[in-house]
Amino acid sequence: MISILIIEPAITTIIPFSHTYGLCTSSSSSTTTWEGTRRKPRAEFQEEKARVLSASLRHVPRLGWTEEAMMAGSRDVGVSPSIVGSFSSKEAALVEHFMDECLQLLLDRVDSGLDLQNLIPSERISKLIRVRLEMQVPYMSKWPQALSIQAHPVNVPTSFKQRAMLVDEIWHSVGDGASDIDWYVKRTVLGGVYSTTEIYMPTDDSPENRDTWAFLDGRVKDAFDLKKSIQEAKYFAQDIGAGVGKSFQGLMNGVMQTMSTRGGGSSSAF
Amino acid sequence: MHLTSRADSSLSLVSSSQGTNFAEAMALRSISRRFGSRVLSYRSSSVASLHSHATSFGFQQVKEEEKRKLVGNVFSNVASSYDIMNDVMSGGLHRLWKERLVGKLSPFAGMKHLDVAGGTGDVAFRIFDAVNSVKRRALRKVDEDSLEETQIYVCDINPNMLNVGKQRAAERGLGDNKSLVWVEGDAEALSFDDNSMDGYTIAFGIRNVTHIEKALAEAYRVLKRGGRFLCLELSHVDIPVFKDVYDLYSFKVIPNLGELIAGDRESYQYLVESIRRFPPQEKFATMIADAGFEKVEYENLVGGVVAIHSAIKL
Repeated sequence: MISILIIEPAITTIIPFSHTYGLCTSSSSSTTTWEGTRRKPRAEFQEEKARVLSASLRHVPRLGWTEEAMMAGSRDVGVSPSIVGSFSSKEAALVEHFMDECLQLLLDRVDSGLDLQNLIPSERISKLIRVRLEMQVPYMSKWPQALSIQAHPVNVPTSFKQRAMLVDEIWHSVGDGASDIDWYVKRTVLGGVYSTTEIYMPTDDSPENRDTWAFLDGRVKDAFDLKKSIQEAKYFAQDIGAGVGKSFQGLMNGVMQTMSTRGGGSSSAF
Repeated sequence: MHLTSRADSSLSLVSSSQGTNFAEAMALRSISRRFGSRVLSYRSSSVASLHSHATSFGFQQVKEEEKRKLVGNVFSNVASSYDIMNDVMSGGLHRLWKERLVGKLSPFAGMKHLDVAGGTGDVAFRIFDAVNSVKRRALRKVDEDSLEETQIYVCDINPNMLNVGKQRAAERGLGDNKSLVWVEGDAEALSFDDNSMDGYTIAFGIRNVTHIEKALAEAYRVLKRGGRFLCLELSHVDIPVFKDVYDLYSFKVIPNLGELIAGDRESYQYLVESIRRFPPQEKFATMIADAGFEKVEYENLVGGVVAIHSAIKL
């Protein structure tokens, strides 16, 4: 027995550095960002920004969705207010952060056992929207300002995406798994219900926003009726389609017969 | 654009004393001989080019100790016509660049700001105006903390430049204003406390500093957590045809303008040469990151003729 000793060459990979440069090009024309050789990762800026924005929310009822609120928040966290100058979208950043936080909170509430089992779908939707809108109650005096910030053309892509995600998550929590054309209809309809209720809410003076919830229930009911009518419209369209299809087929058959009886014509169909 | 990997942090560029540069270069050359890698030779050339910044006065080679004196002479000579020359050389564009710098800074009431190498006060005055107009707007939202007084420190190594600045302040009626403080000092050894500034700007000044890393380290030291560093500087142009036009303008037109208007060709020759010797945008950005700053970014203006580098201390 010959034992073959395979001596592997000792491969020493000398990595004389502990950090590499990351080169990330942002989407704007000529702005580029670098990481240094320090141990603090770039993610720290994002974390710091999130901390400042969360702390700023406390000041919103008094100062509005403004830079002043963010500067007050940064002082709370122990960071110079200068950092606010580096946020790319200023007030929009604050509003968007709030929307993200609320969505996360909603999902946490759903996961930790919000009681949805005994409710029919329309009631589940009502409840979820209610839970979500109640998060905005402390900021209700300044909510119209937040809405106008979200409506700025510059901010519309992000706010649209956040609302689409919210609506998607609500349908998902309700237990909807559809993936056909219904998906778009459902999201649009629910988006409409949510938005109208959201806009109604700041005008509501009733104790504990009772009127808002009544309004919400009404809209949800309408939506479900609408859904039924849309379904009916779909069937109707299908029937018509079938009818038209039948007559087209009949026409074609007639033409073919005529051509073959005339005799001799090329049988290559069109 | 790909940056190759860096050497050991013990050979980091943030070396502080003059003597180590030579030792570093020797150490690096011996290491690169052993590994024979392209990577480390990039490093040694970068160390060499930085070493060369400290000993270059434009395209001339000078001793490190002398550079400071020579630069000092340049600015003593140009102080009185500095502003006019800026206007003529840049066609008035320098005003827009400074506006952009201050816009990026987003000054706020109650801020403590340091403008280094800001002798004649261009940037400082703009920050002052910005803060006061913001204050007027936000007067209805009085937050107790922001009633702290705004302080804008203008630091310059050259007393002649500072005098021009003080004169301009007096002309604007700000001669006695407590918010503007004129301080004579060296960017490499600032007399301010650690963690005392909300903002630090240096406009068209860092090119003239002997040891850039020292200036960056000082900037890092004086800034508070969350404080911002902004640097406006003439930089490198890479766009093909435009680069040649710019070079032609720099080397043929500007020294002649200097002679004509300021009566000083040499200083303006130094100016255009020192621009070429200054590290390019990416290199400077890595130097800023090495000093410890986060979120280092740069923005090119006029195709790279001017670049604004910004960063945050965290």
